[in-house]
Amino acid sequence: MSSTDYNYDEQGQFFPYFVITVTALVTVPVTISWLRPSKELESTASRIESNFKPEHADLIEGQRKKQKRRERRLKRALVSVGGWLVICWMAYLMAVTARTIPKIWDPYDVLGVSRSATEKQIKSHYRKLSVMLHPDKAREDPAKNITKETINDHWVEVTKAFKALTDEEIRNNYLQYGHPDGKQSFSIGIALPKWIVTEGHGKYVLLMYALALGVLLPYTVGRWWYGIQRITREKILVASAGKLFREYDNDHTDGAVVGVLSSGEEFNEVLNGHKADNGLSKLEQKVLADGTSLSGVLAKKERQKLDDLDESRRRKVLTLLWAYLGRIELDDENLNDEKYEVAPVALRLNEAYTAIALAYSNTKAVLSAYHTSQNLIQAMRPGASPLEQLPHFTPTVAAAAEAEKSRTHMSIQEFMRIPAEKRKARVVAPGFLSASQFEDAMTVASQLPVLHVERAFFKVVGERFVTPSSLVQFVLKCRFIPPGATNVPAVKSSDLEDIDPEEGDVAAITGRKDDKSGEKPIQPPLAHAPYFARNHAPRWHVFLADSKQGKIAVPPFSFSTFDKPIIDETGKPTFNVQTMKMQFGAPPQAGSYTFVMHMICDSYVGMDTKMEVTLKVEEASKAVEMGEEDEISEPDEDTIAGQMRTLKSGGVSRSSKPRKRVAQDDESSGSDTEGDVESESETDTETDTDEE
Amino acid sequence: MWPFDAVDWLTLSIPFAYLTILIGSLAVFSNLYRKRKAAKAASLEPWFPPHIQRNVYLSLLHMENPKVPDSILKAALLRRATEDIHRIVQIREAKQAMQVLLQRGSVGDDLWQRFQRAEKEIEEELRDVVNEANAFAPNWGQVIFQSASEMAQNQRIRDRLSDILSTAPAEKEWWEKRKAEIQSNFMKELDDDEKKKADAAASKPSAKAGSDDDAVIVESGGPAEKAAKGKKKKGKH
Repeated sequence: MSSTDYNYDEQGQFFPYFVITVTALVTVPVTISWLRPSKELESTASRIESNFKPEHADLIEGQRKKQKRRERRLKRALVSVGGWLVICWMAYLMAVTARTIPKIWDPYDVLGVSRSATEKQIKSHYRKLSVMLHPDKAREDPAKNITKETINDHWVEVTKAFKALTDEEIRNNYLQYGHPDGKQSFSIGIALPKWIVTEGHGKYVLLMYALALGVLLPYTVGRWWYGIQRITREKILVASAGKLFREYDNDHTDGAVVGVLSSGEEFNEVLNGHKADNGLSKLEQKVLADGTSLSGVLAKKERQKLDDLDESRRRKVLTLLWAYLGRIELDDENLNDEKYEVAPVALRLNEAYTAIALAYSNTKAVLSAYHTSQNLIQAMRPGASPLEQLPHFTPTVAAAAEAEKSRTHMSIQEFMRIPAEKRKARVVAPGFLSASQFEDAMTVASQLPVLHVERAFFKVVGERFVTPSSLVQFVLKCRFIPPGATNVPAVKSSDLEDIDPEEGDVAAITGRKDDKSGEKPIQPPLAHAPYFARNHAPRWHVFLADSKQGKIAVPPFSFSTFDKPIIDETGKPTFNVQTMKMQFGAPPQAGSYTFVMHMICDSYVGMDTKMEVTLKVEEASKAVEMGEEDEISEPDEDTIAGQMRTLKSGGVSRSSKPRKRVAQDDESSGSDTEGDVESESETDTETDTDEE
Repeated sequence: MWPFDAVDWLTLSIPFAYLTILIGSLAVFSNLYRKRKAAKAASLEPWFPPHIQRNVYLSLLHMENPKVPDSILKAALLRRATEDIHRIVQIREAKQAMQVLLQRGSVGDDLWQRFQRAEKEIEEELRDVVNEANAFAPNWGQVIFQSASEMAQNQRIRDRLSDILSTAPAEKEWWEKRKAEIQSNFMKELDDDEKKKADAAASKPSAKAGSDDDAVIVESGGPAEKAAKGKKKKGKH
């Protein structure tokens, strides 16, 4: 490196620019990601208003805060604050350091004319100046420190400048290169202070390089890689996923799933060190004692499983989970705290378990997994009365509310259908609920989002029939009807139809435009889950099952946002008809297929919908019956023969398409299950044929 | 000596030292890495718990004094085959799900390795059982699994049946209780009714209206009302 080619930044005037650029490259994106509000469902949804404070609300709130602290982006905050400090410091340095570039004598400046001035203008300006500045004309002014000498000097300068500018060559040099002598040699500088490369410091610089490339880089890459390797798609540890898979069984009931979940490695973080068996015996006494709400629920099998566990940690986890689900008071601050801490972890594991159950595509197992999610969010033991989701409803109150002594439970919707007076008489009594508690429960109940299916049908976009192997849409028309809602308006029949998108609108047809990018999707309020130490946005899972084989035919589609407002400004339900669509491939053989549609909300117990739907697949020949004459000898456009033909005939084959559409219009029967036809697709095709 | 005097040994040693360190460290790393990998693979948990039925069969087979009779050995072999059937069914069911999950990244590679090992193990096990069976009786190997699967099926059905039957006492108890409750409620209602009637009869002279009979008559209404009332009153007194 010869010093003649490069010069280092000895005065430290360029170094700050370099540092500022590099720092800004890191700081600005980090700051943006730090300050941007989270777009997660949980942070944007509204809440269900309730005055209800469960027992140990402080512990649950504490858990929520703990989670928030974990989510707080502390590292990003530190980096961005540090980055901005560095930037400020560098800006300060830049402002303070004097530019040492020697100022080039600029005749334009001296004369005070613009660079675009013509020679004529310059001359006239010079003449004007000469009137004012010529030593014979200008006046001395001792007050302003203008002496004869300064006037003389200034005039000499002006004359020089005028000479320079009137010389064609010099003027051009100025205009092109900014220098009277023409093009200047330019120098390359390195924006590093010279001390970095001076003798003696070189080894430290080398050391820094070695550290950065040899230690820091491999470390970060390794950490990232192994971090990814440890975590599965469902964001749980790989080891946990393995255990869940091993323990999975098609016949697991809701209670057994809880047992499986306790095998997760994630609980080691919750119960680390001595926490693993602190208070285990006390806990077991409390949970397994007769007379708790669990005694009827913990079937022999589950109890057996608990007894069979050798590992104390897992045993404690499972007992804590049961204590949480049974809402059992543990009389111990720490144990109660741990009780609320294990539930969210279990819910995360349950998601992974659901994925496993879906891979087996066994209806019963998937339902158990979903029900476990409901139970975990609502802190309810399997088989409990759904009424216990309401504030202040204990098992005894729920039993009194149900009144009818049947073995199946009453859902909240059914309870709210009972006339208000009768409802109140059942539960408002000494020993049960006070009037204000009852009011609390009723306000919560009337805000719960219960999705009510109004219509379900199959269709193929732009076709009248579902043909074999076509892409079928399963359309669900639903309304949110809160329990106990009175004067629910009747559904408009126009709302129940599904309008086909425009023919050319490929994005809409393929379902990519479903979210309506411009509009903000509507979210139902967060789940009312006073015992669950996280915010949870409810999701609805819809899937089709084959009831004969007990297998899932169409895997679940999850819906968490909707297209129309659920409540208006005053908080009243709007009863808008929401549309949910799921796409799948039709079976390759014609015939009628009966599925059982399950719609399950993952957050509330007792709001599942189950109904039979029939998919009628017609022979492909029926759909093209009339167009057959054109179609029959014509090879498909996809095949080579077809393409050859298209080339030869110059696109004649296209003419057959409109004919086919005409044929379709003449067909009279509909494609979907309920037999009515989308009039819109009809109009579309008609306008098309008119144009031809 | 010419060549050796002219060489600057110190400077020459530097590249060699560099090469030695580089190659040496790479060799050490690869060695350690392989060892660790092998150890990890060896320490993978087996998919299935120890095969008790097989162990029982083998211990019986190797008992020398006194020799175990053939019938017992055959029974033990059948038990072993039944357990194998359970395992192979489990493996077959899990395989498809496992492949889907592995593809999506929902389970780790470790699990897949364990699974494949279990699969191979079960294949070996089946072959072994067939050989053993053929040693007892020619061609038994071809049907032993058929009988074993029937046994497994039978066992499963029995388990389920006993599961269902075991809920019977609880159901019965609940129903008995419910029945008793209904009965007592009914009896109470009857008692109440009679009591009311008695009360009504006792309080009749003082109270003009309020008895059940009156209410019925009023409901039927009409012009005959007064007469009927009068008649009734007369009749009762």
